[in-house]
Amino acid sequence: MRFKILIRLKNQILEPQGKVIEQSLKSLGFEEFTNIRQGKLIEIDLPDTLNEKERLKKIDAACKKLLVNEIIEEYEVLG
Amino acid sequence: MSFKSAVITFPGSNCDRDALSYLRDLTYGEVFNIWHEEISLPKVDLVILPGGFSFGDYLRSGAMASKSNIINEVINHANGGRYLLGICNGFQILTETGLLKGALIQNKSIKFLGKDCYIKKKFNNKFNCNIQNNEVLQIPVAHNEGNFYCDQDTLNYLQDEELIAFEYCNGEYSLDDANINGSLHNIAGITNENRNILGMMPHPERAYQDFHASKDGKKIIESILS
Amino acid sequence: MNDELILQHGLTLDEFQVIKDYLQRDLTIEELGIFSAMWNEHCCYKTSKKWLKKLPTNNEIVIQGPGENAGIIDVKDNDGIAFKIESHNHPSYIEPFNGSATGVGGILRDIFTMGARPIATLDSIRFGNISSDKTNYLLNGVVQGIGHYGNCIGIPNIGGECEFDQSYDYNNLVNAMAIGHVKNDSIFYSKPKTIGGLIVYIGSKTGKDGIHGASMASDVFSEDDEDEKRPSVQVGDPFMEKLLMEGCLELMSSGLIESMQDMGAAGITSSSVEMASKGNVGVNINLDKVPLRQPLTPYEILLSESQERMLAVINKDDNEKIKKILKKWQIDYEVIGEVTNTKRVVFTSKEKIVVDLPVDIIVDDAPEYDREFSLPKKRKNRNFNKTSLSVDKMISNYMNNLNYLDKSWVYSQYDSTVMGETIKEPGQSSGVVKIQNTDKAIGATTDCNPLYIRINPERGMIYTVLEAYRNLIASNIKPMAITNNLNFASPLDPNIMGEIVLSISGLSHIAKKLDTPIVSGNVSLYNQTNDRPINPTPVIGMVGCNLNWKKLIQNKFISEDDELILLGNSLGVNFSPYYLQDQKIVSSTCEYNELLPPDIDLEIKTAKFIQETANKDLIQSSNDISRGGVFMSLMKMTYKNLGFSIMLDDDDIFCEYSAGYILAVHQKNKDEIINLLNKEQINFLSIGQVKRDTFEINSKKLNYSDMIEKYYKNFANIIN
Repeated sequence: MRFKILIRLKNQILEPQGKVIEQSLKSLGFEEFTNIRQGKLIEIDLPDTLNEKERLKKIDAACKKLLVNEIIEEYEVLG
Repeated sequence: MSFKSAVITFPGSNCDRDALSYLRDLTYGEVFNIWHEEISLPKVDLVILPGGFSFGDYLRSGAMASKSNIINEVINHANGGRYLLGICNGFQILTETGLLKGALIQNKSIKFLGKDCYIKKKFNNKFNCNIQNNEVLQIPVAHNEGNFYCDQDTLNYLQDEELIAFEYCNGEYSLDDANINGSLHNIAGITNENRNILGMMPHPERAYQDFHASKDGKKIIESILS
Repeated sequence: MNDELILQHGLTLDEFQVIKDYLQRDLTIEELGIFSAMWNEHCCYKTSKKWLKKLPTNNEIVIQGPGENAGIIDVKDNDGIAFKIESHNHPSYIEPFNGSATGVGGILRDIFTMGARPIATLDSIRFGNISSDKTNYLLNGVVQGIGHYGNCIGIPNIGGECEFDQSYDYNNLVNAMAIGHVKNDSIFYSKPKTIGGLIVYIGSKTGKDGIHGASMASDVFSEDDEDEKRPSVQVGDPFMEKLLMEGCLELMSSGLIESMQDMGAAGITSSSVEMASKGNVGVNINLDKVPLRQPLTPYEILLSESQERMLAVINKDDNEKIKKILKKWQIDYEVIGEVTNTKRVVFTSKEKIVVDLPVDIIVDDAPEYDREFSLPKKRKNRNFNKTSLSVDKMISNYMNNLNYLDKSWVYSQYDSTVMGETIKEPGQSSGVVKIQNTDKAIGATTDCNPLYIRINPERGMIYTVLEAYRNLIASNIKPMAITNNLNFASPLDPNIMGEIVLSISGLSHIAKKLDTPIVSGNVSLYNQTNDRPINPTPVIGMVGCNLNWKKLIQNKFISEDDELILLGNSLGVNFSPYYLQDQKIVSSTCEYNELLPPDIDLEIKTAKFIQETANKDLIQSSNDISRGGVFMSLMKMTYKNLGFSIMLDDDDIFCEYSAGYILAVHQKNKDEIINLLNKEQINFLSIGQVKRDTFEINSKKLNYSDMIEKYYKNFANIIN
């Protein structure tokens, strides 16, 4: 089964790319787009034989151990 | 009494050669080059985690290097009170391991920055004790993620415990802002509570030879040896 | 195999007929692909070969001339310097970041494939008018791409050039140069030596990247083509290349490699064919063994330009040792074939032969053309009235022109000091790195004066090389050899073919006079879009050496009161093309006067003088005079609070010069220098002194901080 982990910088941290993207969109006529922040997507396959609880446990462990730096980032698991 | 040191090389480290020369030329002691997959470190006085793009800077700078085999030994070495110096990518690795507080994020300008910068000592420690207060050092930086961040509690802690080692400052006749990358409070380098671990973004190993634009990088080794 | 298919593969019907006649049979589609790549301009130089043969390529310091992955010169004590410049123009227009990044990747592989460790890079980049959003987008993408690749792999960028001119509006240029250090007794060539040697694949897995890139390099764009061409651009992984470089260098220094070739343009095809051709052998390769990222047909495997891959020939006994080393560096490795004595190139897939061609017809018998060319028309003599321009106005024209401003916006995105051996960073008259554990300084510069070459290709080329020469001399680096990247529009236009022929002729002439042979290079043609050709842009990369870095001279002011001595002859207002163009006195190329003949003897004499006096420590600092004249030379020499006060004929302040330099000489050495100049009968003028916080020309004072702020900050201001 395929899972998506969305990783983003915590809200209070300056995310400079988002601001530049916002400027560019505005200059292309997309004036209504505001508060843009850019994050990261990591996709993984996990075996179907694991149940949901086991899967989430493993994903959380991987995030805490390597995939996410909790000083500056937060994450959300999709799928 | 000879001074022994080691430089760790990760896949993608590219300032390891420079750090080895820095140590060989300035310490006159034995210098080891240790590959990241080794599981033991020789007993040395100083370990340097060098600059570069370990693991391509993929995922986050220093993240994967901080999980290398050798890191356990590096932690033991530091816990034993001996010196550990993380330069640039090395500083990033130290924050990822948790040996140093805070994190290094993308430069405010969103651009790689390769130029001379100016720093001065903030609080005293064994890595900067030979540097005068208010003495300005000129040392090159070369980084994409040199912007130091920590939350308010951590900042208070670093200030109260006097763990900020270096701050970016103005250079005489320099046309650029003192804070080159957006770092919180101009922080260019910090230590741990025991002050035996230093992480700094500028590259002292590029500022010590007669033909370098500045020799201020010497002062760090001189401080350690004094 | 219909006509359309043949033409789509970039071959003319005549060329196809030659192949068919030789083989006496039909081609497979894979074989057609091979010829499409190998008979392309980029790989076989069919238009330029005839003329390039006239270049001087050898003297006593040349270890390897053109014909290998890079040229190599001898800098004594078994030290060699390998270097080459290459273009990645078309890919960087389509996708600037990856197009230019992979250009850097490619040129670095050319260096380390010969056993040389890369020690520096330079970049020569040209864009159109900055007022266009497209130019801004390209500039940002290219600089980020070059920085991304070079910084990650950890090789310092020590110099280059960045020019803006409307002729590059639809065809920006990216020329990447690299320099490496090798021990002369440990150079690796691409020529296999052992029949039965194993052919091995080292590096990244193969994907669909860049299929037909080599033919794209030689295609003229039409404006609508961009999106269709987009999938062809290769994506690079500099981290992978760092591992590949370390792995290969370790293999080579362990004696485990017999020969090596990098897979660049036309990937596995060109590397295996060239190996076979150099070694006068055959190759038998099983395409099923090639490591793949995704399923590919044999045709796609043959033409893929996936990055970070090398082809090598090894002794089968070394297989296990090699595997172990490459495993440490996390690099894929596969035995894919063997060297035969058949002198044929054979590729198989699923036990069927898909390619079986004699090496000769692919390489030695590749077409060589003698294209029609015309000489430039004679020019009328004109007199230009410039007295309406005040000095203030002329300075202001320069301070608002990107071509005259300090370029640290560009090079601060590059790491210039990694490897710890950089002596001169970008912003000096030439870049310089030291060879580790020696006192030897290696200097390099890239230069081109497209306007001069447009006016008179032969003379203009001589001026270009002389500017590169002066850039090295101004640092006290002895110029030794040249690598050149010829960037031109379509050679099917006789005028443009004339520019190609004549600039090669000029290059040949001056290289012989200066004794600086051409040891490597690259040709990029068809740089035009919809009938808008680029200016003729043959870029020169010149490399030299000073065995003792302590004898180098600075290019910026060092101390107040140093005497400023001007050497050389002003070309005068009427004969200074950049002055006339950039002060907007002339707007059309046909209005310029003929170029004055370059004074090569004076250039050589002056260079000798500077080297001798610098070696005696009589010169504090020096800069050469080029675009922007004495004014810009002095501007570039300002440092911290050190400015200048000079007196010079108004006419000569902004003009271009022949054999022009500014020397800053300590007052205590002034008399000796003047005596020596008189003795050598070299014309000079003492024009003033270095002065703190001062910017004074003919008693007119400008605000020093203001001028410095403009010069060093306006580039970023204009771009943003």
